[in-house]
Order: sequence, then C-alpha cells, then structure tokens
Amino acid sequence: MRLSLRGRMRRALVAFGVAATLVLPAAAPAAAADPVLKVGTTQDLDSLNPYQTAYLIGYEVFTLNYDVLVAWGPNNESVPGYAETWTPSSDGLTWTFKIRSGMTWSDGQPATAEDARWTLQYYLDAKKAETSLGAGYLDPYVENAAITGVSAPDATTLVVATSRKNDRILQMYLPILPKHVWKDIPVDKVGDFTNDPPVVGTGPYQVVEWKTGQSARLVRNEKYWGPKGAASEIVFQFFPDATNAMVDAFKNGELDYIRNPTGLQFDQLKALPGVVAIDSAGNGFTQVNFNCYAEDIPGGGASTKAFRDPAFRAALGYAIDRDVLVDRVLNGYGTLGTTQVPAWHRAWHIEPTGVRPFDLKVAAQKLDEAGYKVKGDVRYDKEDKPLDLSLMFPNTDASYPKVAQFITDWFAAIGIKVTSRSVDGGSLGTTEYLDTEIPIDGQLKYDMVIWGWVGDPDPNSLLQILTTEAISDASDSQWSNARYDELYKLQNEAPTAEQRKTYMSEMQQLFYDQAPYQMLYYDDELHVYRTDKFSNWKTQPVEGGTPFFVNGSINYTTLQLAAAASPSASAAPGGASGAPSAAATPSPSGNGSASSGGDSTVLILGVLLVVLGVGAAVVLARRRRTAEADE
Amino acid sequence: MGSRYLLNKIIQAIGTVFLIIVLNFVLFRMMPGSPDRVLLRNPNVTADIREAARERWGLDQPMPVQLVRYIGATLQGDLGYSFKYQGLPVTEVLAGRLWPTLILFGLGELIAIVFGLALGAYSGWKRGGTVDYIGNGTSLIIYSMPYFVIGMFMLGIFATGLGWFPTNGMFEVGRQYETAWQQVGDFAWHLFLPVLTVAIGLIGQYSILMRSSVIDTLGEDYVTTARAKGLTDGDVLRAHALPNALLPAVTLIAINLGFVIGGAITVEVVFNWPGLGTLTVDAVAARDYPVLQGIFLLLSISVVAANFVADIVYGRLDPRVRA
Repeated sequence: MRLSLRGRMRRALVAFGVAATLVLPAAAPAAAADPVLKVGTTQDLDSLNPYQTAYLIGYEVFTLNYDVLVAWGPNNESVPGYAETWTPSSDGLTWTFKIRSGMTWSDGQPATAEDARWTLQYYLDAKKAETSLGAGYLDPYVENAAITGVSAPDATTLVVATSRKNDRILQMYLPILPKHVWKDIPVDKVGDFTNDPPVVGTGPYQVVEWKTGQSARLVRNEKYWGPKGAASEIVFQFFPDATNAMVDAFKNGELDYIRNPTGLQFDQLKALPGVVAIDSAGNGFTQVNFNCYAEDIPGGGASTKAFRDPAFRAALGYAIDRDVLVDRVLNGYGTLGTTQVPAWHRAWHIEPTGVRPFDLKVAAQKLDEAGYKVKGDVRYDKEDKPLDLSLMFPNTDASYPKVAQFITDWFAAIGIKVTSRSVDGGSLGTTEYLDTEIPIDGQLKYDMVIWGWVGDPDPNSLLQILTTEAISDASDSQWSNARYDELYKLQNEAPTAEQRKTYMSEMQQLFYDQAPYQMLYYDDELHVYRTDKFSNWKTQPVEGGTPFFVNGSINYTTLQLAAAASPSASAAPGGASGAPSAAATPSPSGNGSASSGGDSTVLILGVLLVVLGVGAAVVLARRRRTAEADE
Repeated sequence: MGSRYLLNKIIQAIGTVFLIIVLNFVLFRMMPGSPDRVLLRNPNVTADIREAARERWGLDQPMPVQLVRYIGATLQGDLGYSFKYQGLPVTEVLAGRLWPTLILFGLGELIAIVFGLALGAYSGWKRGGTVDYIGNGTSLIIYSMPYFVIGMFMLGIFATGLGWFPTNGMFEVGRQYETAWQQVGDFAWHLFLPVLTVAIGLIGQYSILMRSSVIDTLGEDYVTTARAKGLTDGDVLRAHALPNALLPAVTLIAINLGFVIGGAITVEVVFNWPGLGTLTVDAVAARDYPVLQGIFLLLSISVVAANFVADIVYGRLDPRVRA
C-alpha cells in the first residue's frame, strides 16, 4: 500500500485494460448457423394471450403462433388455414369445413377438428355466461359471423351453424387454440391466463421466450403443415418511445426489418444500399373529432352549440388544407382523408360526392350562410358568443402539434379563435368519454380533438365508433344519427358483399356530409427491410402492400435465404422502393435530429472538442506560468 | 454505538417507508385518467368490457377499501398484477428490470466514485496544478451536461460512427450462447457505453466535492503539525488528510447509492437499456398503477435504507458524532 495515488490509478487502469482484452473478444457476435430474422417495432408486446392483447404486435405474434380457420392469401383472398376447404349449405346457414388431416400441435399432440370446435364453442359458452373472453377484442369476429352452434362429427370435419346468411365466417381473426392446453380455464378467467412460453400452436413459429419490454423470440415449427420460412428463428425487438434507437439499430445491421420510422428517417433509410423502403396505405386514419353531444351539460360539454349543427361542422372542412398537411406533417407519406373507411379497404372505401376543397373564402361563405356571422374579425355563433374553440391532442405523437398549428392559423383566417393544448393520453381519453356511472356535470369538456384510430381487416370496427350505441363506449364524437345506426345494423347483417357495400357507401356519404369528424389523412405504413440475409420478400396485397404486419403470417413462410452474401439492391416484387410522394419540403421535426447527418455531425463535434481541448490547455499553461511567476 | 440509537433509527426508517407506501397509493390514484381508458382504446371495446376490466383490477371498489387491500397485500409481499402486461405479477415485471438498472448504475457509480474521489483528492492536494485546472474544468462541464447528451455523443462516435460497440440493448437479441463466458462477454460489450456515460456524468460530482473537502482539510491545524513533525507528503495525505476529507464524500455516496434503483430514464432510453427507468416511463403512460406502486416502493425502501446505512457508517467513521 505504499504506492502513490498516481501509481494506484495507473495500476487500476492496467487491470481494467487486461480484463477488457480478456472479455471483449468473446463478445464478438458468433456467425449464426441458421439466420435469425430480427424485426423491430415501436410497440411493446403486452400479452401472449390472444384474447388480451390490444396491440398490432400482439396480433402479429399470435398470428405466427396459431392458425386461423380460413387464412388470407397474397391478395387478401380466402385461402386454406386450419381448414382446407369450406362449403356453405344451399340456404347459406350452415358451413362445413374440411380440417386438414395429419396436423400436430407444436408439443406433439394431434390437432383435429375437435380443437376448432372447442375454440368456437368457447366463445358460445362465454356468450351464454354473459361474459367476454378475456378483454373481448376477438369476440366481435365470432359475433358478426352470427354463429349459433358448432360440431365436429369426425376428426377432419367441422360443421358450423349460423343464424343468417353471411360470409364473415371466412374473415375471423380468431386463432384456433389447443383444447388440451386451454380446456381447464373457465370462460370468465380467460383474461388471467398468461399463456407462458413455450406457446403451443399450429402456426409456423412459436414463442419460446418473452422478455417484457425487450424482445420476444420465436422458433420455427418443424411440424408446420405449410411452407417453412428460411428464418430458423424470429426475434421481435420492442422500442417503445425509442424510434431513434430502432433506426440506429437498423442502420447498424442489428435489425433486418422495422415498422414505422418517422417520415424523415424513412427518407434517409431509403437511400441506403441493399435496403428496401416501402410506403404503403395504412389501415387507419387521423382525424379532428368534434364534440357533437346533443344536450346541454352543466359545467361541461362543448364551448358552443355550433358543434351540434352539421352545417357548421361541414363548413369547417373547407378551412383544412389536407394536401399541405400530408406534405408538411407526414413528409408526403399519407393519403387525403375523406370517409371513415380508410382507402386501405379497397373493397369498401368510396370517395364521397361533394368533396370539399380547401378554400377559406368558401368556408367563410358557408359559415355565413349557416348563420355564423362575422363582426369585424371575429365570428359569432347563433347564441351571439364569439367562437373560441379548444383543440386538444395527446402527447403521444410528434405530428399532432404541427397539425394543430396549421389548424389554428387557418381557422384564425376565418375569424375563429383556436386554443390548442397537448394533453396526456390517459386524461384525454377520459375527457372524451361519457361516464354514465357518475353524474354528468362537468363531463365532456372539449371542443375538438386530434387523434387517430387503427382498423381491423374488416371495416366494421371503424364504422361502429360513430353509432349512438358507441357513446360511453368507444365514441369520441358523441354523434348520434338514427339513419347511421340503421345502416350500421343493415350492413353488419347483409347477406352478400354487394348488399353490404351499398349500405356502407351510404354510411360513408352520410358521415362525410354530417362531418362528426373532419378526416385529415390516412397515415401510411412505412416499412424498411434489408435484403442481404433473406430474399423472396413478398407483400400483401401484391400491389402496394407490405410483407409483415398484414393479415396472417404468409410472408414469413415464403422467405428464402439470400442467394449470396453480397447485398443486392434488387427491388422486392410488389411494393416499390421509391414512394410516389410529392417533392416534400422536410418538415422541421423535433425528433430524430441525432440520427440524421450521422457521421459528419460526429466528426464536426469531435474536431470541435479537440480544438476546445487544445485551447483550454494553452490557456491553462499560460495561467500556470503566471502563477509560478507570482510565487 | 448504543443499541437504543440503532433501534430508534430502525423504527424511524420503517415508519418512513410505511408513510411513503400510503402516499404513493394516493398520489397515483389522483392522476387524471383511468387505466381502462388508456389501455382499451380499441374500437371493439364496449362498456361491459371496460367494467369487467375495472372489476378485475379492483378499481370498482371505493378508495379506502382499495387502500386497505393494497397495504395488506404489500405487507404480505403480493404487489399485485400489472395492468399493461395483462396478468403478469408485478414482482415478475420488476425482477426482470431491476438487475439491469442495478448493474448499470451500480457499476457507473462505483467507477465514478473511484475515479472521481481520486481525481478530486489529487486536484485538492496539488491545487493550481495541471490536473487541477484541466480535470476540474472538464468535470464541471461534463457534470452539467445531461446524461442523454453524453449518451448520444457516445453512440454517435463509438457505435454508429466507428461501429466498435452496439447501439442498444443488453444482449444481442435472439442470440444463443455456447458458453457462459460468451454471454458475459456479450453483456460486457453492450454494457460498456452506457456505463461509461453514467460514470462520466457522475465523476464531476465526486471530484468537485472531494477537491474542496481536501483543500479544507489541508488548512487544518493537525495537518500543519503533521508536516512540522517531518512526515512525508504522502504520509500526511494518506494518514491524516484523506480520512477526514472522505467524510462528506461518504454521505454523498450513501445518498446516491440509494437512488441507483431509480436509474436515469434518459440514459436507459438513449441506449434502450431495459431497466426500471424505461419501465417507469411506460407504466406512467399506461397508468399501470400496480407497477408504479411497486417501483416507488422499491425506490423508497432503497433510499431509506441507504440513508440509514449512511447514518451508521458516518457514526462509525467520525467519533465526534457518536458522542
């Protein structure tokens, strides 16, 4: 212990260095025997129980774990899943499914029609007990197919009885579960079952490990009845609140596929060699919703009765320039919004008649005509109160404040004052929601809100939020329209797709004219992947779709190993790597500034630091000399 | 040291923790926005589903009932079930995230302490020297930089720039290890930059404190006496000045170690380090009350325990306090 301080520090540094040299070589990543597919997502998986998960990542995971009865093909057409064929009876009320023979669960037990029967019966039992299976997210699929009974006369036949003729039974996003694993869980306790790994399923990959908040690892099911994907394992890595980290990891080669970087990051990634960047229509929208509640609320409600007037709501649509929003807020990665059925639903979406162009003069004129006159610079409502509207948005999305800024400016030009505010998602959700359990006083204190919704494979869920029934459930507009409710019931029970389309078209037009929402845009899905490890990337649909996070897991199973190690810039079939976006001026985004510019910024910073260091040393040296001179 | 003194301190500590438990519960419930609204923003959700969720989470009971239930359960070690990670016990959620934070911050603090105290002592001893000016200046500058700036700088140069280190996470995701050594190696490789960030961010704290403490001590009479007696500089420093100069540092160390569990959210987010910091942010956004309560319980116990230990250690070190 006779060493001086400096000597001891030196020893410590040497020891550390020695330890490092011993340990670090072992840290070099081992060359994988079979390649692992690494997918990055900004969502955090919340549950392995298919009935409990609220997020797209949860659906993606269970769609790999399990089969659905009838799957989705390359163009979203119905293809064999758990069932090989399906035949409706002559009156359309009974369906007979032929279940593939020879299937086994990933734990070796035989998978037969009995498991499919049991899965559907599970729902019927829950319905009888007046409870939902888990959180109840999957119940509507069975409910909307109007299933009343199910039986499995032999191991490969499943017979399902319905109460009305419909083909929704072919669209059920319902996993077929192994009866032997789930049978002892009572229908009211499904939500408590954690479905721990290794998950037992018949799908192409099963979860063997889940580290909450970090990653989930799936291994290929060697007993799978379909094509075997080239990836021996799939790892989903979660980056909640950390898009930058996800993009950095992708650039570094630590991820093979990422979903939804920001528009700015997407543009940078597009330019990298061996990388394919797909910009595809998304199944969701962003809207400004109004508070259309039709009655007075003491101490609460909207700040003006004008929101109960469809003419007022519709007129405001002329004061929103959607082209500018898509261009400047989304960097061009979106489609102009019109109806509540996103353009992604090619079979159902319609462009309404009388689409409102952006024209402030027309907006002012329409408002005048509707009785909202302007005095000087300020517009008044019919109660002679100046219009002073609140615009709130959750703090979960960096694009919302920009949208709010634009809207504030446009509305100001027509004499309407707008005060915008960022609010925490939890409290905003509560503000927009009518709680019927407590007195109504002080509730629903909002005018306009910017938020968005994500859809299902079937547009029903998005239609439903605007019904009267949805008030105090999912409704954020409190809109109530008798004809809309009627049409909702009709389309949900329509016997044929054509009939359904007729009703749905009328609903969309009605929605557009009455304007409980001003639909802003349909956000694009931005997916980026590298082509050096895997090839044969397919998209769903073939034109303009994405490989992953679609309906079903088909594109995981068609992946092949890349031919050679050289990263090819070959375009993937289908989705183009060049997005048909307008020449967008990059919007001044508040995020992603560290990952942009990359190396050059670092170099500049490094040089700056060296200069500072040298400068500091020079200054200090001179001070020291002066100090010595004093002594 | 009297056992009555010890007993007193222990009772105080327990009382503080209990008060904090109750306060935690009340404060989180006071936040606007209920968990069911946040978690269930799915168009398919109905009032029945939400009711069932509130029932399952015990949120339909009146507040006092919930509080009593919560205290009873906590005392038995049952921290409840997470709202967000549907059905997972809170203890499991926390356990997985606790040790990454402990290792990251524990190691970072340790390195900062060792190097910070050494730097501070040397600076104080050779006041006005090169080490003093440069060391003190830079440590002050770095100490005032927020963690995430240091972290992003590190990432920019060493990870995405030179590619020497990975950009995120604790292990290479999905990798299978053949030997335990490989796993340790991979972990160390991922740990390097985050620990460096934390250590650099904290060094300033200790070096500045130690420096002024040493300068103070060197002005004391007993040091002059020691020098007058003819002891070498090294002896004076080691045997007389340092032990006394360490006292304030001990208190600081003890208090800081208590906060190690809190983690620094910014470092964990920058490096995507799956610790308690990122868990806290996610839980707040999701209004996951049980997880939040669990985290803050852990944190408060840790801080109270650290302060308790600081009291004892300080009493041991400084005979003047014990009297």
